[in-house]
Amino acid sequence: MSKTLESARKVLLTILLALAIGAVFIIAFGENPFSAYIALVQGAFKGKLHLGTTLSTFTPLLLTSVAFCVAAEAGAFNVGVEGEVFLGGIVAAYLGVNWGFLPVPALMIVCFLGAMLVSAAWAFIPAVLRAYFNVSEVCTTILMNSVALQITSYLVSGPMSAGTANAQSKPVLVTLPQLMKPSNLNAGIFIAIIVVVLVIFMLYKTTLGFKIRAVGKNPSHADYVGISSKRIFITSMMISGMMGGIAGCIQVLGAYGYFLNNFAAGLGSNGMLAALIVRSNVLATPFMAFFLAILNSGAMGMQQATGVPKALVDTITAVFIIIATMDTLFEFKKNSTKKKAKKEVTEG
Amino acid sequence: MMKVIIDNFSNIFNITLIYATFRSAVPIIFAALCAAITQQADILNIATEGIMLIGGFAAVTVSYFTGSWFLGVLTAMLLGAVIAMIMAVGHIRYNADICGIGMGINLFAVAFTRFLLKAVYNTNGAFSDPSIKPIPRVNIPFIASIPVIGDIFNNWTVTEWFVLILIAFLQFLFYKTVWGLRLRAVGQFPEATKTAGINVTMMKYEAMLISGVVGGLAGAHLSLGYSVQFVDNMTNNRGFMGVAAMYFGGANPILTSIGCLLFGLADSIGNRLQAYGIPSQFVLMMPYIVTVVVLAISMAIKLSTNRRKESSLTTAAVAEEAGS
Repeated sequence: MSKTLESARKVLLTILLALAIGAVFIIAFGENPFSAYIALVQGAFKGKLHLGTTLSTFTPLLLTSVAFCVAAEAGAFNVGVEGEVFLGGIVAAYLGVNWGFLPVPALMIVCFLGAMLVSAAWAFIPAVLRAYFNVSEVCTTILMNSVALQITSYLVSGPMSAGTANAQSKPVLVTLPQLMKPSNLNAGIFIAIIVVVLVIFMLYKTTLGFKIRAVGKNPSHADYVGISSKRIFITSMMISGMMGGIAGCIQVLGAYGYFLNNFAAGLGSNGMLAALIVRSNVLATPFMAFFLAILNSGAMGMQQATGVPKALVDTITAVFIIIATMDTLFEFKKNSTKKKAKKEVTEG
Repeated sequence: MMKVIIDNFSNIFNITLIYATFRSAVPIIFAALCAAITQQADILNIATEGIMLIGGFAAVTVSYFTGSWFLGVLTAMLLGAVIAMIMAVGHIRYNADICGIGMGINLFAVAFTRFLLKAVYNTNGAFSDPSIKPIPRVNIPFIASIPVIGDIFNNWTVTEWFVLILIAFLQFLFYKTVWGLRLRAVGQFPEATKTAGINVTMMKYEAMLISGVVGGLAGAHLSLGYSVQFVDNMTNNRGFMGVAAMYFGGANPILTSIGCLLFGLADSIGNRLQAYGIPSQFVLMMPYIVTVVVLAISMAIKLSTNRRKESSLTTAAVAEEAGS
């Protein structure tokens, strides 16, 4: 318990420090940081529209952040979630537009399955390259994100285009029920929560989860006790990819109703941010994803109310992880006592 | 697509392609060298992208306000070093995960330059102005008069010439000097190096510092040499391609640069194909696909040669034992 408290204290200190650095930037921009932060909170919570927008921003972030964690549990650094969201979205859009011969519930299930399948296959490529050829998955997943973006961009501006000025697909025939109009919050948030709960259950209560964590802790030990570390690594990357696909499918069927070019920009990296701040702790990540959703949707309100650009909030969140990744930054007390102890030993 | 290439073969593959390839490879070469320096000390500098972006912004800004390209490049290098030192302190002193803090720096660079673009120039997306002084081009009248060589070697920017010097210098530094030997020792065998009385931590800081300087230079070349503007997220994953090329060349400066030329070739052929009706998205994704494929193949080859070496060693050892 004290360990949880300790890490909670660390996250809180990180948040305060990042907000303080953000305040310095806001002052430099010539605005009052307090009124800016108040505008941010109002922009995130005030009224049905803002609250709904915050929750609908939270939906994909919840999935992408936990997707990053699942891969991280097996020792992978999966930056490719964003590409998986794009591909999941385009598959859902394709099936949702063209497979109208299926009854509505079946069509919805097919959309989700198709998105999961393709995204998992996409994640399979860097996973195999890493497991069998030792190619850095950080590098390949980042580069493959660009490829995924270009593929979907080609499809929605070419073969799958709706013929509108904006590059987007035709509206899908099956949509998730909308909640809290006029925001685009939809029933996808429940799907996301259920998926995340299932994944957390899988990680901590099933054999597969145990194997994934074992591989993440020490792959050679896992191999020694008869767990194929390579296979488990690939499996966890594919689960991570599937979650990205689900996020893309929810965005297309729920939030937009069609595939909008470049819709997932930042979803993957923000999810990664959320996971990195709490060091890929699966239980804490959803809360961090919610916090980032508040920052992201509140930033729009802040931009309108005070003229502080949204990019500043992104800067603050980035400062966040830079501070948060430093394991031992807030352990000065411990460090100094350790040094003292050492001194006493050497002197004694 | 093949038909287009064959029909316009002579227009796509002509003498100017050589310089076009080199030109689009140079920013990636700088990035790859930035990553190679730290890789020799076993630190994966994934923040190359972010360092470049901040360097690029600094170079344009200083050049715009002072009218001196040299000051711009210098500032970019300095800022690159500062960012690298933040990373080094986080990683070495405070035990930060190098990928985590590196991605943090990258996201910070994208967001912060976007913010500054708005705050300083009040624009979104791109900033270009005639009063930005670019890095000058070297015009050698003697070479310009020779037909083929003139096409290839004339009018390079100063930094394009400098990259050749840098490659040679780093090659010498890594493999022919005591410092390079120590650096590689730190990367390969930190424990043994410590025993030999070398300050491992200090070596890592030094590697990060030099890497930051080169990364800043990479950004400055991108925004003042390769083009004369700053565009939001203008590095466009070049930093990561550099890291991929570094893997490809095993952090050896010369081999790494050859890898970069391959990506430059893919890029410049793609640009030419765009004129013949190939959808721009295919052109834009080509360098990334080439990078991933080349990286996969090169790592597979490396792995199999390593395995062969290992197995021949073990069989030799077994044979020796049997013999004795």
